[in-house]
Amino acid sequence: MADRTKIRNFCIIAHIDHGKSTLADRLMEKTGQVSERESKEQLLDSMDLERERGITIKLTPVRMFYKAKDGNEYIFNLIDTPGHVDFTYEVSRSLKACEGAILIVDATQGVQAQTMANAYLAIDNDLEIMPVINKMDLPSARPDEAAKELEDILGIDASDAPRISAKSGLNVEEVLEQIVSKIPAPKGDENAPLKALIFDSYYDNFKGVICFVRIMDGSVKVGTRIKTFMSDKQFDVTEVGVFTPKMFAKDSLSAGEVGYIAASIKSIEDTAVGDTITTAINPAKEPLAGYKKALPMVFSGVFPLDGSKFNDLKDALLKLKLNDAALSIEPDNSAALGFGFRCGFLGLLHMDVIQERIEREFDLEIITTAPSVAYKVYKTDGSVLTVENPTHLPPTTEIDYMEEPMINASIYTPPEYVGPIMELCQYKRGVYKDMIYLDKTRVQLKYSLPLNEIIYDFFDSLKSRTKGYASFDYEQSGYQKSDLVKLDMLLNGEICDALSIIVHKDKAYERGRQIAEKLKEVIPRQMFEIPIQAAVGGKIIARETVKAYRKDVLAKCYGGDVTRKKKLLEKQKEGKKKMRSIGTVEIPSEAFITILKTDSDK
Amino acid sequence: MSGIYVHIPFCMRKCTYCDFASYPKETYKAESYFACLYRETEGRGRQLSEKVFDTVYIGGGTPSAVDSKFIAGEMRQIRKFFSLTENPEITIELNPGTVDQKKIDEYKSVGINRFSIGLQSGYDDQLKRLNRIHTAKDFLLCCKLLKGENISADILLGLHDQTAEQVKKTIDLAIAGGVSHISMYALTPEPGTPIYTDYLNGELLSDDEVADIYDIARAYLKEKGFLRYEVSNFAKEGFYSRHNYNYWQRGEYIGLGVSASSFIDGRRFTNTYNIDEYINAVIYNKTPEIASDVIEGKDAEFEFIMLGLRTEKGIKVSEFDRLFSKDFKKEYADVLSKKRAFLDFDGENLKIKEQYLYVQNDIILAFMK
Repeated sequence: MADRTKIRNFCIIAHIDHGKSTLADRLMEKTGQVSERESKEQLLDSMDLERERGITIKLTPVRMFYKAKDGNEYIFNLIDTPGHVDFTYEVSRSLKACEGAILIVDATQGVQAQTMANAYLAIDNDLEIMPVINKMDLPSARPDEAAKELEDILGIDASDAPRISAKSGLNVEEVLEQIVSKIPAPKGDENAPLKALIFDSYYDNFKGVICFVRIMDGSVKVGTRIKTFMSDKQFDVTEVGVFTPKMFAKDSLSAGEVGYIAASIKSIEDTAVGDTITTAINPAKEPLAGYKKALPMVFSGVFPLDGSKFNDLKDALLKLKLNDAALSIEPDNSAALGFGFRCGFLGLLHMDVIQERIEREFDLEIITTAPSVAYKVYKTDGSVLTVENPTHLPPTTEIDYMEEPMINASIYTPPEYVGPIMELCQYKRGVYKDMIYLDKTRVQLKYSLPLNEIIYDFFDSLKSRTKGYASFDYEQSGYQKSDLVKLDMLLNGEICDALSIIVHKDKAYERGRQIAEKLKEVIPRQMFEIPIQAAVGGKIIARETVKAYRKDVLAKCYGGDVTRKKKLLEKQKEGKKKMRSIGTVEIPSEAFITILKTDSDK
Repeated sequence: MSGIYVHIPFCMRKCTYCDFASYPKETYKAESYFACLYRETEGRGRQLSEKVFDTVYIGGGTPSAVDSKFIAGEMRQIRKFFSLTENPEITIELNPGTVDQKKIDEYKSVGINRFSIGLQSGYDDQLKRLNRIHTAKDFLLCCKLLKGENISADILLGLHDQTAEQVKKTIDLAIAGGVSHISMYALTPEPGTPIYTDYLNGELLSDDEVADIYDIARAYLKEKGFLRYEVSNFAKEGFYSRHNYNYWQRGEYIGLGVSASSFIDGRRFTNTYNIDEYINAVIYNKTPEIASDVIEGKDAEFEFIMLGLRTEKGIKVSEFDRLFSKDFKKEYADVLSKKRAFLDFDGENLKIKEQYLYVQNDIILAFMK
């Protein structure tokens, strides 16, 4: 049994690119867990997607042994946290499993948006904050200013913060020593009934659900009969262990430790992330304080490209949901796209990540519809509806008024881009709140913006207007009354439900025209002329036409051509499977997302 | 009805749009090739002794590029080992730059009674760009040698800067040559051919432009008494190509020679495209086939529909029901209803409406199950 006083559970928090993954790698190397040969670029970011985007999405705990200068050997459990605004909920989950947090600040950039957001989250969770100033190898490092910012902005004493270079390894030993001296050992009672916090989980084809846990009280070993508070089912533990960072089986886990539990749990719904595991016999009386439930903000229809793959898509989404409490899934049914799901995401990146994971990890081709937000509809009969699917909007005659979700946006930018950003925000119906000169090179712009303007192309526009220099951060800020209308697209006179969107009245004409133009580009010519119309409340506001094709025939078909022609047609038929029929019109699957890509900047 | 196709893979030189099996005319190779062709003809003839054939089509390549003794030899071989009907249609493809009186006489002497001339264009500059070896004048000279015979001409649509007026003039030229049949093909740029580069660079006509010219030319041909009986084929009353019509009725045919395809007893098979492989296979008594497919069930039904709907007359439902022991109307009720705007159907004859024959892929596709 591990000596609890020799355990340190911590995470690393930082603004994006401030060197979190690099420091994690360095710690693992210095503790002798990983040889340099094994060391891939960044050890913790194991998913392809993460490596490509340079962001950490999934939590990966890892256990290290460290022989400290006091002569004792300590167990370090590092719990990785994701670094993007969409993933605040995952950060808060991992924080619950720790006693301390290493807060990295880039010596060249100082305190940034995420530094603050994550530091406050850690403080909220009663974690001991251990500041570290990184990137000392850069000539532009200004550690004194960074330390001062930590004190001024966050009130964190950074006088003895290790000044390190995670890249070169400079002063990393100091970090290890401070983990021992500054971060408290876990509390908890080994002899109390078991309380294990599930902070992540995933489904393994052989072992069933693997729960990532922090043991708060008691202990658990193979054979222990366990249950969770949110489910009635009981399971016999088949394996417990720790992460090295690979899974490494152990005899038992006890209070203070971080590891995993497998118990042949077949249904992914039986272990909600945030739930508490306890023993079936002599259980704990109460669960641990649960996680804050993350609320999805952006909604989109997700449909299988091949209608017969509905069940595969369902399985994929359920498996993803196991690891992702913030993903919401509801069955959906579209006249155009058939059976699918309405999914809720934390934000656009989250949506992107889920879509890519469905395609990569489950090898499913999907169609996604334009994202929407959740509107509040106040009906004339006094009732209030939340509508996140434009097709569910009641007839205008039943609507008294509508409200849309708002965000408070913070945009950080070099001063020369303030003009273009203000223009963009104005175009996106933003209301200016404040402008703060953080220093000579950085300005923080604060705007209140409707969320539905952000989910289209705000981020791309911001990047293109500022040559990629601006960064952007937002939080929800309630609802605001707004003049919203449903914009329908008609193909050959028929409304295509999957293309409907809710927009501000002043934007309806412009977006209708843009979408019609885009659709004209992506809808292939067919046997007959196809009018594409945009309509608001039955009134046509824009029109384009896809001309009928004139020639679609194999010129020659003699003895040797039969097989070839058949193959050609089979290929064409295959292509048609990727098309959806709206009445008599066939429309390619990418058309549904095309309306997202409309560059409303022009 | 059954046909025999013979492939002659030799040409004076290759046209820029050609992706057929064809080789430069070299005497030594022709000798060995025909020796093997005769041998294959004998073997296939013996295998198919039960069947009676009523058309022969000698195509290429350029059959008229080789010494006519080889063609005559092959015809004698066919007559020796195959059963032909009393009045077979026997066609040979000619390049106007490769014929003389002697050749024509020899062709006629072995019973060849239909001559298909590759005219392509009545404009010498266009012919030159296609790397054709002949001129418009050569075509007329060739026709003169064939006076009184059953002649067909091939015309290409979609050439560089081609206009509808030029196509009409080309048709005039063909008519002046005394043809009773015209095949008018839209140029299909195949990857790997020199013209494909022109296509990629947008130097050929667009599909819409080709369709415009096609419509004008079709009307013009009609005016001149040439009626369309298939997507690309037009003939005076009674002069349609029996050999080709057999393909569209899903009739049987045996292909002889390099790259030739066959459809016999429900099996489609194709000989190798490589002349050396072909020669080696035949010499060592191995099959020159490189692909073989037994076509059954839905595939067979689809072929019947796909091929039949290329023709102006379309398909006969009673014929379909008899061939496949099915009820067509019941089987394809959904398609008949979905595509009714584009179809003419009187309960027995199903055809694509004439204005949609040139955009038929989508209609045919609906019948693919």
